[in-house]
Amino acid sequence: MKDPGHHMTDDGVHIQWPDGSPELRLPPASPLHGNLAERIARAGRPLNTRCGQRGLCAGCTVELVTGSFHEKNGAVIPAPAAVKACQGDVSAGEGATMVVPIRSLAVHSPQVVSSFKVNIPAAQDPSVPVVAGSRDHGLAIDVGTTTVVVALVDLATGAIVGDASALNRQVEMGDNVLTRIQLAGEQKARIALQDAIVKRTIEPLVREVCSAAGVGPERLAGAVVAGNTTMLHLLTGTDPTPMGVAPFRAPFTDHRILAAGELGMREIPAGAPVHLLPGFSAYVGADLVAGAMCTGLFTEPGPSLLVDIGTNGEIVLCHDGRLLATATAAGPAFEGGRLSNGTRAVAGAVERIAFPDGRFPPAIEVIGGARRAIGICGSGYVDFLGLGRRIGLLTPNGRLNGDAWEALPPEHRHAEGGSRGVVLNPREPATTITEADIAHLLQAKAAIAAGILALLRRAGLAPGDIRRVHLAGGFGLHIDVAHAIGCGLLPGFVPSQVEAVGNTSLGGAWLALVDRGILTEMTAHATAAEIVELNLEPGFEDSFIDQLALP
Amino acid sequence: MTTLELLSEAVASGKSKDAKALVQRALDEGTAPVEIVDRALVPAMASVGEQFKNNLIFVPEMLIAARAMKEAMSLLEPKLLAAGITPKYTAVIGTVQGDLHDIGKNLVAIMWKGANFRVIDLGTNVSPAKFVAAVVEHKAQLVGLSALLTTTMPAIVETVKAIRGGVGQAVKIMVGGAPVTQQFADEIGADGYAPDAGSAVDRAQALVGAA
Ligand code: B12
Repeated sequence: MKDPGHHMTDDGVHIQWPDGSPELRLPPASPLHGNLAERIARAGRPLNTRCGQRGLCAGCTVELVTGSFHEKNGAVIPAPAAVKACQGDVSAGEGATMVVPIRSLAVHSPQVVSSFKVNIPAAQDPSVPVVAGSRDHGLAIDVGTTTVVVALVDLATGAIVGDASALNRQVEMGDNVLTRIQLAGEQKARIALQDAIVKRTIEPLVREVCSAAGVGPERLAGAVVAGNTTMLHLLTGTDPTPMGVAPFRAPFTDHRILAAGELGMREIPAGAPVHLLPGFSAYVGADLVAGAMCTGLFTEPGPSLLVDIGTNGEIVLCHDGRLLATATAAGPAFEGGRLSNGTRAVAGAVERIAFPDGRFPPAIEVIGGARRAIGICGSGYVDFLGLGRRIGLLTPNGRLNGDAWEALPPEHRHAEGGSRGVVLNPREPATTITEADIAHLLQAKAAIAAGILALLRRAGLAPGDIRRVHLAGGFGLHIDVAHAIGCGLLPGFVPSQVEAVGNTSLGGAWLALVDRGILTEMTAHATAAEIVELNLEPGFEDSFIDQLALP
Repeated sequence: MTTLELLSEAVASGKSKDAKALVQRALDEGTAPVEIVDRALVPAMASVGEQFKNNLIFVPEMLIAARAMKEAMSLLEPKLLAAGITPKYTAVIGTVQGDLHDIGKNLVAIMWKGANFRVIDLGTNVSPAKFVAAVVEHKAQLVGLSALLTTTMPAIVETVKAIRGGVGQAVKIMVGGAPVTQQFADEIGADGYAPDAGSAVDRAQALVGAA
C-alpha cells in the first residue's frame, strides 16, 4: 500500500545491472528498515549475502553513484562509494542510483553438476517401493553447501530421465557450513534454513525435473539424498551445534529413512521414503561415502584416493582393506573468496590461463565465451600457479620474480603501494592477480596438500604408490590436472594417476536408489573408516608450512 | 657480515637450518645467549613484522620465518633459563575452548617472544579456568586469546568474563583470529585486538607499556 500523502517523485532508488537487465526501482528507504540487501532480494534479485548479512564479507557490495548510504552504525557515506548493501540502506526519503557489480549477485550458472562416472556394477533392485506403471520414478538428490542437484530416475530401467540444479538458497544466510551451524543453534533460524533447502531449493527443482520429463510427482516412489553432514542436519531440522566446536561430534551420521511428509517435501507423496545416506563423520559426510562407493574406491585394487576439493577438502584413502578419511579446511580462495578479482565459476569468469611461448601476454578463456571477463575463478588460478613457476614469473615463495616482473610490458604490471601484481589482459580490468591473492591461494592449496600427505603418511605410502586418485566435484572437473600437480595442490602425483570423476555424490545417491544392496554396503564402510583429525596429527603444521611453497 | 647479522638474515628469510647453525656458531664464538636474542632474533622478527604490516611479505613467508625463529630459540631458551634471564613482561596465550586451530596463535606467540616477552603457550582448546589459573600463576601482564571459528567466538566472550572475574583489570586481554574484529573486541571488553602477528607486537607493547 502506498502512503497517499507520498508523491512518487524521482526520490526512488535506481539500481542498475551491468549485465544489461532492466533497471530495478525501489521506493525510498524508510528510517525503520535499514537493510538494502534484503529489499533488493525481495525484489527478486538476491545479492551474494554469503556471510549472513553480518558485514564480514564484501559479497553484497554495491557502487553508489548518486545519493548517500546510511549505515546501521549511524555513519552516512556520500556517493560515489562502494558500500555493503546488508549494512544499511540509502538515506531515508532520498533518491539514489547505484550499480551492482556482477560479482555481488547470487547468480548460479549450472555447471556440469549432474555428470558423474560410475565404476561399479549395480543391480536393478530399487530401495524405494515401486508400483509398476503408477509409482515408478525416484529422485537422487545431492545437497551441496552451494549447489543442489536433483536427478529424476526411471526405476524400471535405472535411467536418469532428467536433472536440474540450483543454488542452495541457504547461501543467503551464510556461505559456509560453520556460519550455518552457528545460526542453526537458534530454533527460528533452524526452521528458516530448513525451509530454504526443502521449500525454496529442492521443491522447485523437483517440479522442474518432473515437468520437463512429463512425469507427474505422484509417480515418485521416493528419494535418496547425499550431502555433507551439516546439510543433512539442516535438511532434517536437527540442531547441528555440537559439530561447530571441538570435539566436532555430529548428532547423526547413520543411514536414515524418513517419510517425505516428515521432511515437509510436499512435491513427493507424503508416505514415500526418503533415504539419507550414511556419512563418515561431522566433516566427511555422506557425499564422500557416496563418492567412494560410486568410484569403486572400496572395491578396486588400491591403494586409491578420493579427493574432493571445495571450501573444505575431503580426502578418503583405501589401502589393503583399511579406510582412512579426513577433512581439511581450504577456505574460499578457490571459489574466488577474498581475492582481488576472484569469482565463482560463473559466466564471465576466466577459467583457463595459458602462456603461449612461455611468456606474456597470456591467452585466457572465459566461461560462456562472454565478451567481458568479470573475474577469475579457481581453475584459472590453478593454471596461473601451475605455469607461473614454469615460466619463471613466480618464486617458490609465491612472489613475483622481480626481474621477470620488471620485464613485463608495463600494461601487464600492477603496482599499488608496496604490493605488486600482474594484469592478464589490460583491456579487462577484472583480470589482476596480486601477490596478496597468491598468498591466500597458497594457504588453500597447502591445506589440501598437507591433508593428502597426512593420510598417506598414516598409511605408510608415498604419492607414487597410489594407483588412482579420483578427483571428485565440480572443481575437479574444471581444473587442469597437470597444473594442479604443478602447483602442488595434488602434491607429488603424475597426471596419469588422476581422474576427474564429476559429481560422485549424486552418482552414489543414484546407485543407492536403484540398488538397495548398496545401502548396507555404504553403512558398513562408513562405520569402518578411521577418521583422522589433522589438528591432532603430529607434523601437520610443519607439513602445511612446507606445502605453502610452490614446487 | 657478522655472525649475528647473518643469523638475523637467515631468520628473516626463513632459512631454518642456517639459522640453527648460525646460533651454534655465535655461541661457539662466545656471544652470550641474551646478546644473540637481542641483537639478531629480536631485530629479525621486528623486520619481519614491519614488512608484513607494509604488505612486503605475506602469511606464507611469515610462517616460514617464524619457524626459523622457533628453531633458533629452541637452542637458546634452555641457556637463557639456566642463566636465570627472563624477559621483563610475561604473556599467556592460547586458543579458546572448542577450537583446535593454532597456526596463527603460534605465530603471534613467536612474534611476542621475538619482542622479548616471556610467553606461556597453553595450546589449544583451553578452558576459561585454565586461562585464569595461568595468568595468576605466571603473574602475566598480558593474555592473548585466539579463535578461528565463527562458532568458537562465544568462547572468547566466556574467557574474557572469567579472566575479569578472576583477576579484574590486572591483566591486559588481547583477542585475535580470522573471524575476530576490532568491533567485536570492543564489544566484549577486551583491551586490544590485532589483525595479524605483526601488529600484535605493537599492540602488546603499547598495552603493557613497553613501547
Ligand atoms: C590450516 C587450517 C586448518 C587446519 C588447522 C591446523 C592447525 N593446527 O591449526 C586443519 C586442516 C586441521 C583445520 C581444521 C578445521 N577447520 Co580450518 N582452516 C585452516 C585454514 C586453511 C588456515 C588457517 C591458518 O592457520 N591460517 C594462517 C594463520 C597464520 O592465520 P590466522 O590463523 O588467521 O592468524 C593470524 C591472525 O588471525 C592473527 N591472530 C590469530 N590468533 C591471534 C590471537 C591474538 C591474541 C592476536 C592478537 C592475533 C591473532 O594473527 C595471525 C598471524 O597473522 C583456514 C582457511 C584460511 N585460508 O584462512 C581454515 C578455516 C579457519 N577452518 C575452518 C573450519 C570450518 C575447520 C573445521 C571446523 C572443519 C573443516 N575440516 O574444515 C576443522 C576442524 C577444526 C578443528 N579441529 O579445530 C573454516 C572456518 C569457517 C568459519 N566461518 O568459522 C576456515 C576459515 C576454512 C573454511 N572452511 O572456510 N583447519
